[in-house]
Amino acid sequence: MRTHIFVALLACVGTLAGPVPGDADSDAETKILAMQHMWGQAYVSKDPKALERILDDAFVNVDSDGILQTKAEVVAEVNTSTAVQFLTESMVVHLHGNVAIVTGVFEIKGVDRGKPYAQRERFVDTWLYKDGQWVSIAGLVTRLGQ
Amino acid sequence: MQPEAGGGGGKPYENNLMRTIRLLLVLVCATSLSGSAQEAGESDAAKAVRVLEGDRVKAQSRNDNHVLDLMFDNALVYIESGKLVTKGDYLLRVKSPKPQTQQIVPEAMTVRTLENTAIVVGTYRETDVKDGKSSSKRWRFVDTWVKKKGSWMLVAAAAVPLSK
Repeated sequence: MRTHIFVALLACVGTLAGPVPGDADSDAETKILAMQHMWGQAYVSKDPKALERILDDAFVNVDSDGILQTKAEVVAEVNTSTAVQFLTESMVVHLHGNVAIVTGVFEIKGVDRGKPYAQRERFVDTWLYKDGQWVSIAGLVTRLGQ
Repeated sequence: MQPEAGGGGGKPYENNLMRTIRLLLVLVCATSLSGSAQEAGESDAAKAVRVLEGDRVKAQSRNDNHVLDLMFDNALVYIESGKLVTKGDYLLRVKSPKPQTQQIVPEAMTVRTLENTAIVVGTYRETDVKDGKSSSKRWRFVDTWVKKKGSWMLVAAAAVPLSK
C-alpha cells in the first residue's frame, strides 16, 4: 500500500512539472529537490519503480569506487539495498534553463549481513527537462574528503 | 620567491627543463588522445565538446586561466577529492600552481549529447611528483556541458579515484 502511494506521489510530481519557460525557478527547484528525496527513499523502500521514472534511459552514474553504472544497474541495486535510513543535506540546485545541477551530501544508514553501517557521501546529479518532466541523466558520488 | 618545480631545490635550471619536458609530454598525449579517440558516428556537437575537453587539459597544463575562464560557466560546480569547489576557487588554484609537478593524461572518454546538454564520462591518469617521488592515480570523471548563447559551457565537473 505504501509503495502504491509513493508511486502515485511520484507520478504527480512528474506530471506537475510544467514547461521550463513559464515555470518559476523556485518551482523547478522544489520539484527537483522532491525527486532527489524520492531517489534516496527508493533505496529505503526498495522501490525500483520510483527510480525507473526519475532516471532517463540513458542515465549514467559513477559510484564512489569509480565504477560506471547504467540505469539498469542502478535500478537493480535498489532491489538489494540494505539501507534503513537515507538523509540528504546541503542540497543546492543550479538551474541552466532546461538543465539543473544538484549538489549535496547524503547519509545512508543500514545493516549489511548483521553489521550496522553509516556512510556520508557527496553527490552531483545532472537533470534535464525532457518531454514535459525532469529526469536525471548523470550522477557521481564521492566519499567526503576522498 | 617562486618555489622550484620538482621540489629538488638548488637546481632551478634542471628543474625548469624537466618541468617543460613533462608539460610537452602531457600536451602531446592530450592532443593525440583527443584525435584518436573520436568515434566515427559522433555528432558535431559531441565532437565540439570533445575538442573543448582537450583544450581544457591543455589550458590547465599551461595554467592558462583566461581560456578556462571562458569555457567555465560562472556557476560551475567542481567536485574534487570529495570537496566542493567553485569556479573562483578553481581558477585561483590554477593560477597559483603547487611547487610539485603534476601530469594529467586523458584516457578514453565518451561524449553523449541530449538536446543542449553534453555528458562526458571518461578516465584520466594523474601523476604527482613531490620531493623527487612520483605517485600515480587513475580517476573517472563526469563533466556536464550546456550550450548557452551558441557556446558550450562547463557547468559541472566531478571525479572519483578508481579503486582498482
